Amino acid sequence: MRPRWLGELVHIHIAPEASYEMEALSEARLIAGRGIEGDRYFLGTGTYSAKPDIREVTLIEIETLEALQQGEPKIPGIRIELSPADHRRNLTTRGVPLNHLVGKRFRIGEVVLRGGRLNFPCKYIEELLGLPQLHDALLNRSGLNCSIEKGGVIRPGDPIEPLED
Amino acid sequence: MATPRIVMKLCVAEIRAEPGDVRVITLEHPSRPHLPPFGAGAHVDLHLPNGRVRQYSLMGDEKDRSRYLIGVKREPEGRGGSAWLHDQLALGDILPVSSPRSHFALAPGTSHLLLAGGIGITPLLAMGRRLKETGQHFHLHYFARSRASTPLLSDISQALESRHVSLHFDDEPATQCDLVALLAPRQDDQQLYYCGPAGFMRAISAAAAHWPEEAVHFEAFAAPRDEDFTPEPFTLRLASSGALLPVPAGESALEALRSVGIALPSACENGACGTCECGYLDGEALHRDGVLRPSARANRFIPCVSRAKGTLTLDL
Repeated sequence: MRPRWLGELVHIHIAPEASYEMEALSEARLIAGRGIEGDRYFLGTGTYSAKPDIREVTLIEIETLEALQQGEPKIPGIRIELSPADHRRNLTTRGVPLNHLVGKRFRIGEVVLRGGRLNFPCKYIEELLGLPQLHDALLNRSGLNCSIEKGGVIRPGDPIEPLED
Repeated sequence: MATPRIVMKLCVAEIRAEPGDVRVITLEHPSRPHLPPFGAGAHVDLHLPNGRVRQYSLMGDEKDRSRYLIGVKREPEGRGGSAWLHDQLALGDILPVSSPRSHFALAPGTSHLLLAGGIGITPLLAMGRRLKETGQHFHLHYFARSRASTPLLSDISQALESRHVSLHFDDEPATQCDLVALLAPRQDDQQLYYCGPAGFMRAISAAAAHWPEEAVHFEAFAAPRDEDFTPEPFTLRLASSGALLPVPAGESALEALRSVGIALPSACENGACGTCECGYLDGEALHRDGVLRPSARANRFIPCVSRAKGTLTLDL
C-alpha cells in the first residue's frame, strides 16, 4: 500500500541531564525500549511529569515552530522564536502528522517508533527558557512521546513514513 | 521557588592569574556566539564534578554577550570547589554553567555606594562599570589586606575612573576607612551594595542598621555561621497534604523533604544562593541563611540551612 504521507527527520537533539542545553547530533543510536544514547531519558536523569508515561523519545513538528514564529494562529497570536535547539524534544520532523500517530507505528530510517501519548507542554520549559506564554502557545501542538520498537541509527534527512500495525 | 535555568556546557577560553590566589576564568559557548544576557550583580552556577554546584558572580561587561568572566579565589578552608577550579580546571575544558540569575541587582536611586571586601569585588566591579556607563553618581570602596595581594586592581582601573574608587588596605593605615562614619549619613535615595567575607558582612550590616531595608543590597559567600548554634530536631508540616515530616538534628529540612520525594531545586546548599527558597505559613522559623531580607523572613524559608522550633508549616 502506498504511504498516506511521507515526512522527513530535520533535527536530532539530546540533553545529557535535565535542564542541560540540548545538543544537536548528526546521527543518533536509538535503543529499543530505552531511548537515545546519551539523552537524559535514556540515562534516567530527565525531568518527568508525574503521570506514568512512555517517553523514550520525543518528537515535534517543525511546522509548529514556523507557526510560532509567525504568531499563528492569529488568536491568541502568540509570537515566539523557538529554535529547534531549544524546544527540548529529541526529534524535529517535517511533513509528519504527529497528532494522528497516537498508538500508531511509523518508521524513521531504519528505526521503528510507536506513538505514545501526545506531549503536553509544561510550565517548566517556559521558565527554563524565559519565554512566557510558551506553554499556551504549544497547547495541542506540543508533539508526541514515543516508544522505540526497533532500534538503530538515524540521521537528519531520514525519511519518516507510516507502517501498518 | 526559584525558577529552573538552562545549563550550558561552556568552554574555558582563558585563565588569568591575579594576586591573592585568584583565577579569572573566561567562559565561552562552543557553538553559540551569544550567551544569555545578564545584569550587573548576576551570578552563574558552576556544576563541578561529584555533583557540587558553586555560585560565582559575573564580573565582566554585560554588553559583551560573547563571554562570561568569573573571579575565583582559592579558599583553602572551603568545601573544595575553588580548589578544584584552581588545580584541575584547564584551558579548553568544558564546564556545565547555568544561565545567569540575580538577587543582587542595581536598584533605582540617585546615588550608589558600593562596598567590596576581597574577592567580593567581582559583582561590584560589574555594577560600577554599569553605573559609570549610565552616568550615575556612585563610589566604590574596596577593602583588602594589602595592595600586593589584592586581585583585579588592573580591571578596576580599566573599567572605572580613579575618582570613583577608594582602596583601603589593612596594612596601610593612611588608607583605612571607618565604616561607621562612612555609613552614618545617608543621602536621600542613596542605595548601598556590599559583598565580602563573613566578618565584613557583619560589620557593614551593623554600621548600616539605620538604613531603610529596601536601600540595602548584599550578597554573602555563605550564610553567616554561629558556632554556638546547636541544631535540634523539629517537624515540618506540608500545607498541601497536612503530612508531618520529622527533621532530625543531623539533617537539613531540604534533605528531609528530598527523602520523601519533594525535591526542591537547590544549588549551594549553604544558605547563600536562595535556590531552594520556599514559603511558610506558620511556626517559628530559625533563619540561618545569608540571602533573605529581614522582611522576607516573616514568610519565606531557606530549607538547606534554616531550621525551626516545634512545627513549621511549609507552603508546599
